[in-house]
Amino acid sequence: MERLFNIDFKKINSLNDKEVADRKKNFEFFLKRGLPNKKNENWKFSDLNYIISKNFKNITNNDEYTFDEKIETIHDFDHNKVILVNGLLKSCDLHFEEKSKVKIETLKSLESFHHQSINNLDFLNKALSIGGFYLEVQQNYKCKKPIIIYNYFTPNLNNKIINNSNKIQVSQNSELTLIEYNIGGKSKFIKNTFEKINIDKNAVLKNIILQKTKCNGYFYKNISATQGYNSSYQNFILSSGLKFNKIEIDMILEKEKSSCHILSGLNLSKEEHQEIKTQINHLAPNCKSYQKIKNVLETDSKGVYQGKIFVKDIAQKTDAYQLSKALILNDQAEFNAKPELEIYADDVKCSHGSSSGSIDEEAIHYLMTRGIELRAAKKLLIKGFLNEIFENIPEEKIRTFLEKNIAEQIDEIQ
Amino acid sequence: MKSEELKNQDYKYGFTTEIENFKAPKGLSEKTIRFISEIKKEPKWMLDWRLKAFNRLKVLKEPKWQKPKYPKINYQDLYYYSAPKSMKDKPKSIDEVDPKLIETYNKLGIPLNEQKRLSGVAVDAVFDSVSVATTFKGELDKKGIIFCPISEAIQKHPDLVKKYLGSVIPISDHYFATLNSAVFTDGSFVYIPPNTRCPMELSTYFRINASETGQFERTLIIADKGSYVSYLEGCTAPMRDENQLHAANVELVALDDAEIKYSTVQNWYPGDKDGVGGIYNFVTKRGACRGRNSKISWTQVETGSAITWKYPSCILQGDNSVGEFYSIAITNNHQKADTGTKMIHLGKNTKSKIISKGISAGQADNTYRGLVDIGVKAKNSRNYTQCDSLLMGNKCGAHTVPYIRNKNSSSTIEHEATTSKINEDQLFYCNQRGLNQEEAVSLIVNGFCKEVLQQLPMEFAVEAQKLVSISLEGSVG
Repeated sequence: MERLFNIDFKKINSLNDKEVADRKKNFEFFLKRGLPNKKNENWKFSDLNYIISKNFKNITNNDEYTFDEKIETIHDFDHNKVILVNGLLKSCDLHFEEKSKVKIETLKSLESFHHQSINNLDFLNKALSIGGFYLEVQQNYKCKKPIIIYNYFTPNLNNKIINNSNKIQVSQNSELTLIEYNIGGKSKFIKNTFEKINIDKNAVLKNIILQKTKCNGYFYKNISATQGYNSSYQNFILSSGLKFNKIEIDMILEKEKSSCHILSGLNLSKEEHQEIKTQINHLAPNCKSYQKIKNVLETDSKGVYQGKIFVKDIAQKTDAYQLSKALILNDQAEFNAKPELEIYADDVKCSHGSSSGSIDEEAIHYLMTRGIELRAAKKLLIKGFLNEIFENIPEEKIRTFLEKNIAEQIDEIQ
Repeated sequence: MKSEELKNQDYKYGFTTEIENFKAPKGLSEKTIRFISEIKKEPKWMLDWRLKAFNRLKVLKEPKWQKPKYPKINYQDLYYYSAPKSMKDKPKSIDEVDPKLIETYNKLGIPLNEQKRLSGVAVDAVFDSVSVATTFKGELDKKGIIFCPISEAIQKHPDLVKKYLGSVIPISDHYFATLNSAVFTDGSFVYIPPNTRCPMELSTYFRINASETGQFERTLIIADKGSYVSYLEGCTAPMRDENQLHAANVELVALDDAEIKYSTVQNWYPGDKDGVGGIYNFVTKRGACRGRNSKISWTQVETGSAITWKYPSCILQGDNSVGEFYSIAITNNHQKADTGTKMIHLGKNTKSKIISKGISAGQADNTYRGLVDIGVKAKNSRNYTQCDSLLMGNKCGAHTVPYIRNKNSSSTIEHEATTSKINEDQLFYCNQRGLNQEEAVSLIVNGFCKEVLQQLPMEFAVEAQKLVSISLEGSVG
C-alpha cells in the first residue's frame, strides 16, 4: 500500500502544523488497513484493492486546478451554475435565486461533522481532502431553478487521486433541485468524495447524479443524509460511463413522515463496473422509502446493488420497498445483488424484489412481427426498461434532457 | 385450554431417560478421536481421515459472521461419545435392545418394533452417539438398498464410504463441518442401487439424552442412476438448563436421473421462556446433483433449538438438474434462527426453487440467508426465490439477506420477499366465526406455511402442522 501511494501533504493548500499532523495520522490509519477488499462484507462484490492495484502503479495527490477551456454548459433548461474543477469550488452563478437565501462557499473539510470513521476510505478522505462546497438553502425558500454542479476534471489527471467533501443544508420548508454533472477527460484517476446532507422539517431535496461523457475515472462517493419531519429526499443515479463507480448512500429517517426515494438507471458498457449500496434506516414511525435500481449490462460490465432496509422497533407503519432489475446482454457481463431486510417492528409493509436475465424473447418477437428489425427492437425495449426511472422526474425539461442523454448511450449499444 | 396446561404442553419431548451411559473421556484431543475410532472398530483409513480433519481443525477459526451470537463454547468440557451401556456389544436384533430404549422411542412416538409397523417407514434410531436399531432391514436388503448406521457401513461397504464421504462437504470446509469430520459418532448411511425406487420412506430419529454431550452425527445418502429415495429426519432432546451442541454433517449425492427428497422436522429443545438452555443446532447439509437430470429437494420445518444455523444447499453440477428448498422456520421466546440455502448452478439448464417462510414471535430473531449463484457455463438456468416473514409483536426481528449472482445472459433469477404481520381482517373473520385468538393465529399461520407443509410426506405433514401451532402458543395477545 505504501508503495502504491506517493503522497505529498504540501500539495494541500494552507495547512497549519497541527492540521498536517492530524492528516498524517489519518493517512497512517488508512495505510495500516489499506483499500477495502472483498473480505469486507460491504465490498464483497467490488474488490477495490484489486481494481486499484491492477490499474494503478503509483498514485499521487493532485495540485492542479487551472482550467482554461471554454465551459460547455447545458442549454436545455434554465439553471444556476456552480463550477468545480478537480473537486475544488471554482466559481458560482446563482442569479436566478434571491441572494440572501442560497449560500455556497468552499468547505475545507468535513472533519468537524464526523467523529467516527465510516470506513477506511473515510480516513483517506480526512487525510487528503482538498475541500469542496458547502451549500445552504435558507428557511422557507423554494429555489426557483435547479442548481447544476459542473464537476470538471482536467485532462492531466493521470494516476492522481482527488479527495473532497461537501455539505448540503436544506433548511425548514425549503426546496432544492441539485444536479451533479460530471465532465471528465481521458485521463485515469481516482476520486473519493464524502458528502453530508441535512434535510430539515418539511424540506425537499432532489438530487440527480449524471455523467456527461465516458471517463476513465474510478469514483467512490459516500452520501450520508439525515431527514427531519415530513421531509423528502429523492436521488436519481444516472452516472453511466465511468470505469468504476461506487455510490454508498446512508439515509437516516430520523423523524416521522419523512420519505426517501432512490432511483437508478445505469447502462454499463465495456469494462465498466458500478455499485450502488444503500442503507435506509427507518428510525421513526410512518416513514416511507422506495428504491428502484435498473441496470443494463453490456459486454464485460459488472453491476452491483447492495441495499439494506433497517426498521427499528418503534418505526411502526413503515412502508419500504426495494426493487433491483438487470438486463444482461452478454455472457461476460455479471450482476450481483444483495437486497437485505432487517426488521424489528411488526406493523410494517416491507418487501423487495430482484430479477436478472436477458431481454424477453417474446417481446422481441412481437416487435419483429410488427416490422421492427432486431437491433431497433432491442433498443426500444432497453429504452423502455430504463425510462421507468425517468418517469418519476416531474420537471419536463429536465426529464427530456435526461432521456436525450440516455438515448445517445443506447444508440451506442451494438 | 388453560394457560397452565399450555405451558406444560410446550415441549412434550423434554423427559430424560435414566440409562447407564458409557462415555469417552471429556475433551477434544487426538486421544478422544482414537478412542471413538477404536470403539467403533474402524479401519485405519477412517482413523487417518479423522486425524486429518482434526489437524485441519487446529488452524481453523470459528465463524463469526452469523447473526445469532452465542457464548464461547468450551470444546474441552464436552463428551464426544456417549452410548447406553447396553449398546456396548451391539445387539443383533431388536429383541436384544434394552427395553428402556425401546420405551423411550415409544414415548416419542417412534415404535421400533416392526410388528407395530409405522405405516411403511423404515427407521434408524440414533441415541446420543450410537444407532440403536434399524427397522425393515430385510425388506430393503431384497432390493439391494443399503440402509444402516454409518459405523456399520464403514466396515461393510468401505468402497462406497471411501468414494463419497467428504466428497460434498470436504473435511476442511469450515469449523463445524471439520469438527464433525474429526469426531462424528454415528448417523445413517443410505445407498439406493441403479434404477430402484425405494419402496418406503427411510427415516432417522435423533435423540440427545446424556448431558454435557455434543451430538455429531453424519449422514450420507447416495442415489445411484435412475433411483429415488425419500428420507425423513426427526430430532428431540431433554429439557436442560445447559446449552448442548449438535453439529451434524449431511451429504447427499444424486447421480444421473436420480432423485433425493430430504425432509426434516427439527424439534430440539428450544430452551425455556427466558432463553435458558436449549440446543445449538449448527448443521452443514449439502447435496450434489452430480448426474444429468438429477434432483435434490430439501424440506425443513425448524421449530426447535435455541440457535438454528444451517443452510441446506444444492450444487447443481449435472445438466438439467433441479434443486429445491422449502423451509418453515419458527422462532419464539428467545430462539434464534439463521437459516436458508445455497443454490449453485454449474450445469446447463439447471433449475432451482426456494420457498422460505419465517415466523418470529416473542423476543426471537429469524434470518433468511441465501445464495443463488449462476455460473458462466450454466446457460439457460433459472431460479425462483420467495421468502416471506411474519412478525408477531415488536420485540422480535425478521431479516432477509439474499445474495444473488448472475453471470450469464441466458439465465433468469427472480427473487421476492415480504415482511408483514398477521392480517387484522383475517383474525377478525376467524374470531367472528367462533375461533379464539390462539386457534385463529394457528389457522392463519398454517395457511401461511401451506406451500411448504404440502411438500412433506404424509406421515410428517400432520405432525408438522401440530408442531407449528404448538410452537407459537403463548405468543399471542
